[in-house]
Amino acid sequence: MSKYYLFQDIKKCIGCHACEIQCKSNKNLPAGPKPCQVIQVGPKFIGGLPKISFIFMPCFHCENPWCVSACPTGAMQKRSKDGIVFIDKDLCVGCKTCVSACPWGAPQWNPDIGKVEKCDYCMDRIDEGLEPACVTTCTTGCLKFGNVEDMTQIRRERHAEAVSSLEKSSF
Amino acid sequence: MAEKTCPVRKTVVYLSDQIDSGRLTDPKGRRISEQIMQLAEEIAEGAAGSDHLSAIDSLIKEYFYPKSPVQNQEIGVRLKGILDEHREVFISHIETKNCPSHDCGKLAPSPCQMACPAGIDIPTYLGLIAEGRDAEAIEVIRRDNPLPWVCGLICTRPCEMMCVRARIDTPVSIKFLKAFAAERAMSDRAYKNPEKKEANGKKICVVGAGPGGISAAYYLALMGYEVRVIESLPVPGGMMMVGIPRYRLPREVIDREVAMIEELGVTFSYNTVFGKDVTFEALKKEGYEAFFIAIGAHKAWDLGIKGEKEFPKVIEAVKFLKDVALGEHHVPGKQVVVIGGGNVAIDAARTSLRLGAEAVTIAYRRSRTQMPADIEEVEQAEEEGIEFSFLTIPKEIVGENDLITGLDCIKAELIQKQGSDRLAPVPILGKDFIIKADAVISAIGQYVDDEGMQVFDKMSWTRRGTIEVNHASMETTMPGVFAAGDAVSGPATVIEAIGGGKRAAESIDRYLSNIPQPRMPKIPIRHRTEAPFEMSASRKMTLKPAQMPMLSVDRRRTMFQQVELGYDEESVRREASRCLRCDICRRCGKCVEICRDKMGIDALKLGYMDFDDPSETDFRATSEKCILCGACAANCENKAIVIEEENGQRMLKLCGTILNKQEIQYCEECNAILPSAEYMQFISRKTGTAKKVTEKRLLCNNCQRKLGAKINVSTRPVNRI
Repeated sequence: MSKYYLFQDIKKCIGCHACEIQCKSNKNLPAGPKPCQVIQVGPKFIGGLPKISFIFMPCFHCENPWCVSACPTGAMQKRSKDGIVFIDKDLCVGCKTCVSACPWGAPQWNPDIGKVEKCDYCMDRIDEGLEPACVTTCTTGCLKFGNVEDMTQIRRERHAEAVSSLEKSSF
Repeated sequence: MAEKTCPVRKTVVYLSDQIDSGRLTDPKGRRISEQIMQLAEEIAEGAAGSDHLSAIDSLIKEYFYPKSPVQNQEIGVRLKGILDEHREVFISHIETKNCPSHDCGKLAPSPCQMACPAGIDIPTYLGLIAEGRDAEAIEVIRRDNPLPWVCGLICTRPCEMMCVRARIDTPVSIKFLKAFAAERAMSDRAYKNPEKKEANGKKICVVGAGPGGISAAYYLALMGYEVRVIESLPVPGGMMMVGIPRYRLPREVIDREVAMIEELGVTFSYNTVFGKDVTFEALKKEGYEAFFIAIGAHKAWDLGIKGEKEFPKVIEAVKFLKDVALGEHHVPGKQVVVIGGGNVAIDAARTSLRLGAEAVTIAYRRSRTQMPADIEEVEQAEEEGIEFSFLTIPKEIVGENDLITGLDCIKAELIQKQGSDRLAPVPILGKDFIIKADAVISAIGQYVDDEGMQVFDKMSWTRRGTIEVNHASMETTMPGVFAAGDAVSGPATVIEAIGGGKRAAESIDRYLSNIPQPRMPKIPIRHRTEAPFEMSASRKMTLKPAQMPMLSVDRRRTMFQQVELGYDEESVRREASRCLRCDICRRCGKCVEICRDKMGIDALKLGYMDFDDPSETDFRATSEKCILCGACAANCENKAIVIEEENGQRMLKLCGTILNKQEIQYCEECNAILPSAEYMQFISRKTGTAKKVTEKRLLCNNCQRKLGAKINVSTRPVNRI
């Protein structure tokens, strides 16, 4: 895994897709390829109420990415300093092997240039100390980007809040 | 032109650099740049219309709005500079859909079309002939050459010299396919003139009814001009009629094609000598506004040897051939020696033989390989029994009284002389010999007869005695007077004269419409792009070059019947489909490189694509290794190599040649289309993820994952503590 973690606070996400748009506009992509995508699950009736959920799907930047080992040209690479899986488009020849190999559908086909596009956590922005494009426009602020160790803290705190209902506390 | 970067491509690259650099912080400037880049890209792809240039012009002006940032103005100035300097190139891209520099890959022209002096759209008409659409083929050819039948029989075929198919086996027999299509269309009454423009009331005089004159007359008539052709001979065709013997070009062929020109309303005045029977002054008074001179080169050079002027049987080849063509069939002698090594010499020799000469020898001062004559002509002459005496310099014509007894010659050796790339024949002292002869025909070249041309007083002549012209426009130094053909080039080819006549017609139209002449030579026009003819790799490889059936040698030694009998229809269709369609595939070799170096598969054996170092080509080899990954197709700018899925088949095609073909497999679970088994193996070999449980079934990626996950859940239950 990369040393970063892109955390989506599912409770807050309203499925506005602003992240997708920002991602595509930052990478200047035509219709088709979506390096990140918000997948709608539901609506389903849970306890008589309709429930819906939006799951943010970027690339997971696997520890042992199949796309990298599948790529015959060495275009798909894992950055050694932080583990970001990215594609060097100059080397990509459009064989789509990575597209087939990835279990998560992360590599995306760009029909305009006949090459693959993929989430690289906007590594050019990261290197400049900025956040990935998707994170910057998240309307509800549910997308958070940072080091893995910092991201776990959010969940921990939330869980703590949930279990410690102060009003009804018997303490 | 070819060595520099194409200005259209340069514009696209420059703008894309500017946009990518992030320097364009002004949104308006960025928008203008993106729009211009889009337009320039369309020009570079052949998708532009006539409004594109003016749209770019007005967009450039937009850069200079009040308070426009300096970087906008810089780009504006730069682009304006490119456009001012290279406007013709942009126009040429839009009009011809060809970019001779190959920088605009989609407009890279085929080598055959670029080699043709008339710029015929060869791949297009070959595609049409392959499909049996002869009349359409003739229509395409006649946009650049009004005499497809004539050229189909006698063209020197520079196109075949450049044919890429020669790197696999032999060039496509482009020349004759034209003749077949023309003959078939003529016979079917489908050989038709295009619609001509309404008469514009302007009159043009063409001097000379040879290929140059006919070509100019045809295109001018189509543009709506009234054209009169003045010809001193009693027949049309010029050198085609009186220089080329009938066994190569039957008179009917010229007559029928000239009749098509007459149908357009062109008047031919035969037996009319310019300057004698009609004068420049009189014609001007009659309202002729422009003159086109295509008088050819009919005067023979003297041998300059002793005896030349003494004997009546020393004959000039051009005069001899002309007399025979006009019906005077007299044998020059029993033992004829022809001096020279060009096509005229061969024609004179073969004609002498047909008239009854017992022995004919061609004496040439260099050796066989240096002969300017066509190799086929030389071979045919040898088959007919004509002898060659190479390295032979004529010294003197000897004889008694008025009768020649022989030609006194000296043996020569070839020596490399400084400053010349052609080996020079140098006589070897003492090596004299006599060739027995009673007639000597000189065929050492012709020059332009300038008689009657003095009235064009402002017209300049070159040192070689030819008319000086601007080769882009065929204008002479005298306004309103244009020239082309042998009169400009010296003795050359029919197709060059036709090309010159066509260029002159366009310039005459510009001259009379007060439009400035082009600054660069016209680039051949890609009229359209026919879909390639589909066939299997085996067939494309094994199509044998057609063999020309010939008249029997006995006939050839006695009669003027056509020697080359022509292919039958099946051979014609087959021969046309041997074309590799270089108008679609520009042979950049990227597909081969990617398949071999990037994918490591090396399935494409297309050695012919390498111009400098061609290796073996075998279309059939692809199916052995190809995994149908599509990387070649994804990277082909011209869509010459494509992967297509139709009727349950997945095919890899290169310009219609099916390099690989497979049944499409479908997912057993969801019926989705699956990639080829070889491709899936290729991936699993790379990822090393043997999908054990599912590998025996045909599944798409999604179903594989789904089922794999279920299996994982059932076989590896979560450990609960």
